[in-house]
Amino acid sequence: MRPIAAVAAVHDRPSPASRDAVVPAVLAAVVRAEWGRLTSLLLGRFRRLDLVEDALADAVEAAARRWPRDGAPDNPAAWLHTTARRRVLDRLRAEAMAQRRMPLLVVDALTRQETPVRADPGDLVSDDLLRLVLMCTHPALDPAAASALALRLVLGVSTADIARLFFVPEPTMAARITRAKKKIVAAGIPFSMPSAGDLPDRVAGVARTAYLAFTAGYAPGSGPDVVRTELAGEAVRLVRVVHASCPDQPVLQALLALMVLQHSRRDARVDPVGAAVLLPDQDRTRWHRDEIAEGNALLGSLLGPGRKLDVLTGEYALQALIAAEHANASRAEETAWGRIAAHYAALEALTGSPVVRLARAVAVAEAQEPADGLALLDGLADDLAGSHRLPAVEAELAVRTGDLDRARQAYARAIALCGHAAETAYLRSRLTALGPPAWQDEPP
Amino acid sequence: MRYVVLVAYEPGGWEAATAEERQRYFDAHHAFEAFVDEHGRRLHSAALCDADLATTIRRDGDGRPLVTDGPFVELTEQIGGYYDVELPDLDSAIAAGELLPGSYTVEIRPVMTIEGYEST
Repeated sequence: MRPIAAVAAVHDRPSPASRDAVVPAVLAAVVRAEWGRLTSLLLGRFRRLDLVEDALADAVEAAARRWPRDGAPDNPAAWLHTTARRRVLDRLRAEAMAQRRMPLLVVDALTRQETPVRADPGDLVSDDLLRLVLMCTHPALDPAAASALALRLVLGVSTADIARLFFVPEPTMAARITRAKKKIVAAGIPFSMPSAGDLPDRVAGVARTAYLAFTAGYAPGSGPDVVRTELAGEAVRLVRVVHASCPDQPVLQALLALMVLQHSRRDARVDPVGAAVLLPDQDRTRWHRDEIAEGNALLGSLLGPGRKLDVLTGEYALQALIAAEHANASRAEETAWGRIAAHYAALEALTGSPVVRLARAVAVAEAQEPADGLALLDGLADDLAGSHRLPAVEAELAVRTGDLDRARQAYARAIALCGHAAETAYLRSRLTALGPPAWQDEPP
Repeated sequence: MRYVVLVAYEPGGWEAATAEERQRYFDAHHAFEAFVDEHGRRLHSAALCDADLATTIRRDGDGRPLVTDGPFVELTEQIGGYYDVELPDLDSAIAAGELLPGSYTVEIRPVMTIEGYEST
């Protein structure tokens, strides 16, 4: 047995008893794997969002105290479930004594009666977990709060960790999550399955929420990269959970493919001092091959003959295809830029996004001539006015066409707009590598 | 759950509507009402006169009532009516609200109980 620092973080409320406790890794593992299932099981039974979360946290705390002494139980999830259920029942009894009436979470009453809740969480029908995810990502909730709430309730990430992952102070994040939970109960957001007709829309909402968290993890806006990678990893886990609950939803399959393919490169994206490493320079032996294989397999079964995909699924699938082209090239020189440029053209047609156009320009420059890529940048200046990416790409392509003056000016504009330390350092190094402008070398 | 479904619209639309258009408004309201009757129940409802007929009471700095002409918020959209309904959850309230005429903006508010207050 050894101390697991992460376990202390599963509690929202720091408690002296657990902070320094020696806790078996099995507890950390079961919390990580089972939190959402335990939450959804208890919610289905008791319909009390406030009590269920506290009771689970209490059960984990009790486990942290008792398992090191008594040994871990044979079925740790069932132990946590039983302990948490007892806590809820104790609280309900205490409330009944005090004759307080608290608002109940709305549960689909009919379905509830037909599917009796089983005592063993191992038998839990996956619908319960899907209900929980759909509740957390309901369109009536603020999207930023929804992703935080999903990390908290479905994945069991502590509020402190969520605050760290989203780079907001912990009290701010706690207030955001509390407000969302309050709205769920007060506004009657149900813990139930939507109608079959509404399910695809709601699942698309889950996908958008998860992808928002994932891209927040990968957007090099601010903060250390290692934390961002962690957030992206949690977003992947969320999609895995939902995809397992409803495997017949193509949007989740496309999104999971996209995420695992992009995420497979995480260990090669920064060098040891934290500077960004661009795709062609990455050490491809550090890419996660098993995840690339998984992404390829997901795409293969998604894009079978005769499949018609909706817009959002198509968007994710095209981005996944692009990520797959990179992931499957054993060396940067073997990248199939022609195919990538074609995928970007399809994506641009689908979305009309200037960001996609910018990426397409890079691919076209690789597949054809740098000047062809530069030509595609025309007209993007207004749409991408605040972004350093447009001048950064312009500079890079200008270098390749030999127009070093244009490159220097574009690098200077990119550096002025860039807010990310590692990327700014990279842009500066590129500018320095061009050497001084020609007129500085000339005699007066 | 009890909800008040507030309906906002841009003024003038009803006056300008043709007989067929008015019938479509009626049909949409009937569809809303049928949905609510099937899944819950209707408590009250009302269509309101335009906001230019509204009278607003505010308090001045000394707490004296100050009565003025017009609504309390001047917006292009006005509250045009409400339904007070009981429905199982927010999803059913949203499904009902989506049946109302497409020119409306619909706001769904849960109704709260004030502990300790009893209406006389």
